[in-house]
Amino acid sequence: MDLAIRDIKQHLGRFLATVVGIGLLFAIVLSMNGIYRGFVFEGLSLINITNPDLWVVERYRGGPINEQSILPEFFHYSVAAIPGVEKASPFIIYPVERHIAGESKRFTIIGYDVFTGLGGPKNFTAGRPITQAHYEAVAHQKLGLRLGQNFRLGLHTYTVVGLTKEGTSPDGEALLYLSLPDAQEVIWLPDNEEVRNQRLRVYQSLVRPGFFTPQEAEKYLSRYAIDMHRINAVLVRLAPGAQAKEVVRQIKDYLYLSVFTTPEQIEIMFKGRLDRPQRQLLLFRTLLLIVSVVIIAMVIFTLTMEKIRSIAVMKLIGAPNRVIIRLIMEQSILLTACSFFIGWIIIHNAYHLWPRLVLLTPGDDLTTLGLALTGGIIASLLGIWKALKTPPALALGEQ
Amino acid sequence: MTMAEILKVEGLNKTFGSGHLAVEALKGIDLTVNAGDLVALLGPSGSGKTTLLLSVSLILDPTGGKIWLDGETIYDHGWKEVDIRQLRLTKIGFIFQSRNLIPFLTALENVLLPLDLLGFERNEAHRRAMELLKYMEIDERAHYLPALMSGGEQQRVAIARALASAPKLVLADEPTGALDSVRGMKVMEMLKKIARENRTAVICVTHDERMIEGFDYIYRLKDGQISLSDNHG
Repeated sequence: MDLAIRDIKQHLGRFLATVVGIGLLFAIVLSMNGIYRGFVFEGLSLINITNPDLWVVERYRGGPINEQSILPEFFHYSVAAIPGVEKASPFIIYPVERHIAGESKRFTIIGYDVFTGLGGPKNFTAGRPITQAHYEAVAHQKLGLRLGQNFRLGLHTYTVVGLTKEGTSPDGEALLYLSLPDAQEVIWLPDNEEVRNQRLRVYQSLVRPGFFTPQEAEKYLSRYAIDMHRINAVLVRLAPGAQAKEVVRQIKDYLYLSVFTTPEQIEIMFKGRLDRPQRQLLLFRTLLLIVSVVIIAMVIFTLTMEKIRSIAVMKLIGAPNRVIIRLIMEQSILLTACSFFIGWIIIHNAYHLWPRLVLLTPGDDLTTLGLALTGGIIASLLGIWKALKTPPALALGEQ
Repeated sequence: MTMAEILKVEGLNKTFGSGHLAVEALKGIDLTVNAGDLVALLGPSGSGKTTLLLSVSLILDPTGGKIWLDGETIYDHGWKEVDIRQLRLTKIGFIFQSRNLIPFLTALENVLLPLDLLGFERNEAHRRAMELLKYMEIDERAHYLPALMSGGEQQRVAIARALASAPKLVLADEPTGALDSVRGMKVMEMLKKIARENRTAVICVTHDERMIEGFDYIYRLKDGQISLSDNHG
């Protein structure tokens, strides 16, 4: 006779209410797992999608994703000249907040060499890559743009020629791919007032006493231009058989730049930008799991205490300890498993409502279930201990 | 101990506490109960009735003396190497004052429980449990939860459960204590019925002398000492 099931059947309403309550808690635990995974996935997604052999950045910088790095655009020619480099492409990554299609949106602009370069979009859900030097864009679905839609950005109007769903900035923001010159213009071109101010500052520095006459200063000023030929990194593909270590050494020694492989870039992200937030999330989900187990322990203990007289009766009529242990343990496992299942259903139907990626993996789900069941079993020990200590005389009204 | 003797108690003592705080609850109790005997234990509160019942039901450790159950020595100034729960399950049936049924089991399931513990095959256990409920004239309530039954009905289910393992000895602690006199008399009739028809020994603790009419032996307990009443049998 399955006493646990019979007890639950008689208190089905209360059991279901408890299961839903703890299930909601498990839904939060599972969502935290998904948020954690999504956080790490998004943090690394741009690195993984771009995936060059080497990332060349400004010296002593951990860029271009973990830290800002600025290089002159022509540096990619210098990198390309290093023996063992098959291809060196300029690359821009820059987070912005601009008006697109009438809405202010945060997104990250990726500028790359659209013809032969590295670092372009992958995994298209619709459309095609950029094939023209100007005014075409590939957008992440999150931006809410449609294929073929024209939108104004900076001084020009761009057409969405492709949509992707993979790859976001480390902050989970949508990526907007532009050709390198378009990206440079959108990112680096100051507005006219700023250009006028800069020219005035340069002019004033030139006409200081002992330097240039106003005529000479005007002459030099006509040669002055805002430098937009800047990039954040050079992406490198190595030639077949090239020794990465040697290429790295040469770039560092001769070009005075920092170089990272993609695994190193991932490590930099883990140790830098992702470190504290991911530890915080890990701590939070551990605490949630502990809270869930404590609540299960309290519920099981309460359920056991409610049955303590029945347990005494069972002992009195000769029920062995295993029957009593099974009653409590089975209820604990059922409560935990049903709650987990409710939580699992909730989160698997609601994960898309989160503003950032919630990445649910079967491995995490199973690990959480395993931990929850272990916790549930541990939680039932308190109830079992109390039940086994109960004297059968309690059934007769004796303590 | 003869074949007919189901329970024999010799010089049973029970002392609670020690030193000058010691309370002697049982003082050299001698008691023999044969198969089919209906024995009543009477006495005021604190006289030692329940202590005696708990001692012979292997729940409370006596301080000294001897206990035999169904021909087996189970206590001789200390418990013998016996499986006490198994003895309770197979040889003793219990009926208590109130709240003695497991509330989340139906009447039928309450009776099935000891049979299940004894390892009865499902259909056989069900057949036997229904027979017992019918014997106690409560079979029409087989699928009711205790909360939906009257006190008298619950007590009859408790008797059916106590008889499920065909015990040699039934111990009843104030079985009519929570019942009105009509229902109480009905329960007592049932106890007499099982003693007469099944040759089950019944020891019934009560304080209500009206309920023990027709009992074979009436013992009175006072200050931990037992005596056979003159008006027995």
